[in-house]
Amino acid sequence: MALATVRSLSYSYPGGLEALRECSLDLEPGEVVALFGPSGSGKSTLLRALAGLVPHFHGGRFSGRVEVAGLDTRRVRPAELAGTVATLFQDPEDQVVFTRVRAEVVFGLENLGTPPAEIESRALEALAAVGAAELADRPVAELSGGELQRVCLASVLALRPRLLLLDEPTSQLDPDGAAAAIELARSSGAAVVVSEQRPERVLDACDRVLFLDGGRIRDGALPEAWLPREAALPDAEPSGAPVCRLENVTFGYGRKPQVTLCYKEGERPAVENASLRVGRGEIVALLGPNGSGKTTLAKLAAGLLEPWTGTVTREGRACYLSQDPGRYLVAERVDEEAALAVGGDLSRARRTLAELGLAGYEGRHPRDLSSGERERLALAAVLVAEPDLLVLDEPTRGVDPERKDELTRLLRAQAPSRATLVVTNDHLFAASVADRVVSTAPERELAVA
Amino acid sequence: MRPAAAAALLAGLAAAALLAQRTISVAVIAALLLLLCLRAPAGRRRLYLVGALVSGLAVVVVTPFVEEIGTHVLWSGPTVPVLGHLDVTTEELRNGIFQGLRLTAVALAFAAYALLLDHDRLVSGTRFARRSVLAVALATRLVPTLERDAAGLVESLRGRGVEVTGARGRARLLSPLLAGSLERSLNLAEAMEARGYGRPGRTRAAQPAWTFGEKGALVLAVMLVAIGALWL
Repeated sequence: MALATVRSLSYSYPGGLEALRECSLDLEPGEVVALFGPSGSGKSTLLRALAGLVPHFHGGRFSGRVEVAGLDTRRVRPAELAGTVATLFQDPEDQVVFTRVRAEVVFGLENLGTPPAEIESRALEALAAVGAAELADRPVAELSGGELQRVCLASVLALRPRLLLLDEPTSQLDPDGAAAAIELARSSGAAVVVSEQRPERVLDACDRVLFLDGGRIRDGALPEAWLPREAALPDAEPSGAPVCRLENVTFGYGRKPQVTLCYKEGERPAVENASLRVGRGEIVALLGPNGSGKTTLAKLAAGLLEPWTGTVTREGRACYLSQDPGRYLVAERVDEEAALAVGGDLSRARRTLAELGLAGYEGRHPRDLSSGERERLALAAVLVAEPDLLVLDEPTRGVDPERKDELTRLLRAQAPSRATLVVTNDHLFAASVADRVVSTAPERELAVA
Repeated sequence: MRPAAAAALLAGLAAAALLAQRTISVAVIAALLLLLCLRAPAGRRRLYLVGALVSGLAVVVVTPFVEEIGTHVLWSGPTVPVLGHLDVTTEELRNGIFQGLRLTAVALAFAAYALLLDHDRLVSGTRFARRSVLAVALATRLVPTLERDAAGLVESLRGRGVEVTGARGRARLLSPLLAGSLERSLNLAEAMEARGYGRPGRTRAAQPAWTFGEKGALVLAVMLVAIGALWL
């Protein structure tokens, strides 16, 4: 008997946006289903419907029927479904309730009425399972994105649900961490629905694939962009006149040691004696495991941080696009946002917006855009400045393969005019976009200028 | 000391400051709370201390102009609509200092609560009114969260070569900060509901028994209120 059934489900958010159309599916106990589809195709909405959050939390127009473990989600509130269903949301930063890791994992267990004597042990067990046992007493604010994503995964696994809903659970994890997370979900024994933008990360682990397009579940083969690809990381020699050069750079977020660089326990620098060069015309991909200092190095290259020791030299203007840039938009109109970097030159901003497929959006408020559109706007807001050094930090996070291909083409087309440094843990993207790869992995030396 | 006992002590001090009738008593309580706040890291405490001291100072400045007490006039000004005749008397100034110190003491008690207490343990240790305690804990986190968001916005703008300077530059961040925190609160509420928040039959993780010192702190908190009302 199916664990969950969805029958003729159509749903529109308040305000009229139709997210799902006539969706039907069955989920068997213990099976792993991968959910693919372009940004805005309804993947997150379908997961929310299975958790009862649609329509209870979001309102809107709901027709059809969703049943989980025999419970009709229209009649049972999401809090009552919790435990049977557990959801890991897209953005780990927005689902953290407590300030310390242990309390965060304990929260769900307490809500479900777990016997007090079991709560602590189950929380620690879940943390150990995701390889985060050592984080139990750390403040959440001090965790890296990847560590936080693992803690959130532990929070849902601790509930031992029968249906596990994962919305882009590996977006901030390095490939090894992603493989471990997916395997862990699979071995939990729950039925798993995992929405993912990087098919190669889940295809081997899943029993079947659903593809959503325009709110409908589409039958047939996956579109070409979604098929698994193999690509070797490029291994070219450094080329072009150097635009940015880091030499023996050390930097940490704590206080700088006064005389010599002797560090106390827990005060190691984020980057130590690193050297890197990026030449005009080349795209360099900066890879490495979570917490290895990729973002710090990128910020040092862009001039957003000053090194403790070592030198950073740059020629011309540098622009930096942060992780999750859609969160950091400040203007009231799309064209004004794009024009900020060029002193309010709206015509230049509109040209760049058109290049990124945002023509016609100029007068809209940036926060009214979808997440994919916000990401493109944020990219336009840096590209408009035509920088000599462009630094992009995880630009493919939450981006579907088709958009990723577009981004690759755009960066390749503009590459000759600048030096480009891309921080990513998406190896396929790195293979397709970069001329050269530099790793921050401890076992591999950085390319020396 | 468990956070509930420490919170009770802070509440006792704040209540004593509100009930005390002598300026010197309130000043001593405020100074004590200030010393406590100085134990927090400099970067985190600055905003709270500035907020507490500025609001106290504002009360000192405004009170003489809105009150009409005392006969020892220090300064006599013009008559303005609504406020009437503006003058400052010794009694008004004294009362302004007294009320300003009271407000500063209460604000410093909150600052110490926000900066020094482990709110997670406070929520887990609460047997009743958990929802209210959790709401207060989440609200307390708003300040550091806004600080982080503001830093992210500034960094995003600097990444485009736009420096945020002056009051106008910072004012431009207010609207995106507000919009961002509203989005965040909605996402958080959704995540909480998905993890069973609000469901009946909640339990709580086993807590260690209250120590003698912690019980003593609770008694002291009650005594502080009584002392504030009767002797200070």
